[in-house]
Amino acid sequence: MLLEYMNAKKLLDRYGISSIESAYVKDTESAIEFSSKVGGAIALKAISEKALHKSKAGLVMLNISGSESIRKAFGELSKRAHAYAPYKILAQKMAGSGIEVIIGGREDQQFGKLLLIGLGGIFVESFRDFAVRVCPITRYDAVEMIRQLKSKDIVTYNGKAENELTSMLMKVSRMIEENSISELDLNPVIVREDGYDVVDIRIIK
Amino acid sequence: MRMDLKPMMNPKSVAIIGASRDPDKVGHIILQNYIDAGYSGALYPINRNAGSETIVGLKVYKSVLEVKKSIDLAVISIPAPAVPDALEECGKAGVKTAVVVSGGFAEIGEVALQDKIVEIAKKYNIAMLGPNCLGIMDPSSRVDTLFLPTYKLSRPKSGNVSFVSQSGAVGSTVLDLIAKEGFGLAKFISYGNAAYVDEVDILEYLLHDKETRVIVMYIEGVKRGKEFIEIAKKITKVKPVIIIKGGMTDAGAAAAHSHTASLAGNSQAYEAVFRQFGFIIAKDLSELLYFAKAFSTEPLPLGKRVAIITNGGGTGVLTADSVYLEGLELADFSENTKVALRKVLPSLVNIRNPLDLAGDADEVRYDNALSLVTNDPNVDMLIVIALFQTPGADSTVASKLIYYKKKISKPMVVITAGSDYTQTHKTMMESSGLPVYDSPMAATSSLTKLLKYKEYIDRDL
Repeated sequence: MLLEYMNAKKLLDRYGISSIESAYVKDTESAIEFSSKVGGAIALKAISEKALHKSKAGLVMLNISGSESIRKAFGELSKRAHAYAPYKILAQKMAGSGIEVIIGGREDQQFGKLLLIGLGGIFVESFRDFAVRVCPITRYDAVEMIRQLKSKDIVTYNGKAENELTSMLMKVSRMIEENSISELDLNPVIVREDGYDVVDIRIIK
Repeated sequence: MRMDLKPMMNPKSVAIIGASRDPDKVGHIILQNYIDAGYSGALYPINRNAGSETIVGLKVYKSVLEVKKSIDLAVISIPAPAVPDALEECGKAGVKTAVVVSGGFAEIGEVALQDKIVEIAKKYNIAMLGPNCLGIMDPSSRVDTLFLPTYKLSRPKSGNVSFVSQSGAVGSTVLDLIAKEGFGLAKFISYGNAAYVDEVDILEYLLHDKETRVIVMYIEGVKRGKEFIEIAKKITKVKPVIIIKGGMTDAGAAAAHSHTASLAGNSQAYEAVFRQFGFIIAKDLSELLYFAKAFSTEPLPLGKRVAIITNGGGTGVLTADSVYLEGLELADFSENTKVALRKVLPSLVNIRNPLDLAGDADEVRYDNALSLVTNDPNVDMLIVIALFQTPGADSTVASKLIYYKKKISKPMVVITAGSDYTQTHKTMMESSGLPVYDSPMAATSSLTKLLKYKEYIDRDL
């Protein structure tokens, strides 16, 4: 069963896994209000159980700022989402720039819960640069997972980012195990010099 | 421990069910092999159709029930449909363990027949290996259930490497290759369909087996994933386990499905388990042997600095390249070593690493170099290249290398390549416990595995 987005975000919060500020917006006004609250550009995403791949279905609009643009984007997105009704519109603060990483999990028939980290974004498919471990992982495992990546120097440009990611992997491993999560996609996770933000969450229990 | 495999591996009495007078029959070959190997326990040939005759001088029984003596192991090689009855009789006769060599079970879709024999094994508490397997071999207890005659498949000498293979084909090939290696065999276990005794039971047994120092494994899939992880955590800390898995690619996985009726699990999950729990992954069968050779004799290195001593410049350079490609480093000789080397080596030798002793290097020059370099605190491991095509290299050089190997406590391997003359010296060194490789990559990748394993067992959680 797919966990509803805000509940999934709350679950991440509980484990101290930082995700981008998000809220459901029911109309243009609340979207504008959200934008001024978080300050700066926002993203709007239509969430529907009928659309598993939001961006492929055209249900993601990025980098929107200013009341007029928000109004236009909200209208356009509602129109597109009509085909996937019932749907809700999620507003998110735009993540700063950084390296896109994917963190995931799945249930293996033989060995149980698996945890994955890989270079994300447009590189996932071409480079297939990822590392997998069985949950629960130790700190040593988390460090090794990151070091195993060919792109480790890109993913963790400094010690701080590496530490943050290491702790995060351990938290995710715990979360997967304690909540019997059968599938997890944190994709993308934006890694910055001083930390990271989970931008999209998909959890299946 | 779920099952005790000791009576199987070290039996005092063996019944061979399906023993035949016909020398082409599997049952005959197995019996003959026991006799050839010099097995000293009691042997009971069993053949349902037997009259009062003997097979190779031994009295034949119609059933294990007629033996009326304690039987540790029954080797069963009769057609699959007859196996349940034979196993049932083993149960009634109190046979402790069984190796079912016969094929014709789950691997060809006869799942119900396989379930039936597992049920019987459970009912009578018989540790049953197979079906569809080569069985076991132990050169020290002279147990040999292999149905392949010794003229076709050479048997390895006794040693400290145990080899576990799900596949009989890979098993017999690698076994034949091990027979040519300097290191010997502790136990060979081919477990086929793993219907009852599986890889977890086997690892549990090998963990406690005193003769086993190194384990080499070929698997296509495991039956009990969680238990496999638990035993792996225990065993890899104590004994290195070199592993190769068939079906690591998607194409390979399809083949594994139709082979030993095993579902090749998802390859990434397997790789994750191998990495996480300290297995040494081999990519092909030659790596399996390279790594086994190093782990069988070598101590674990304390660091990654390698000294190369050579009598061939080019091979030294290639080896230096391999050292870096594998993530190792060339050692920087200490000042003391450099000064001392300068005094004892001819002026044509450049004092640096790789240390090229030149093509006319003889026993004395190797001796001078090795006495200093082996003691250099900046050196963690040694690769000695001895090309026997050169004018200076002969048996005295090989003897000198063996001498230092026995003396030092750092890993030391030799690279040499060539035809008959070289092979003679290779055999000489390997049988003295000095690993010899025929290429720089084989040598450096093996040393790297020693180092990685050392890092694994030393790691700080």
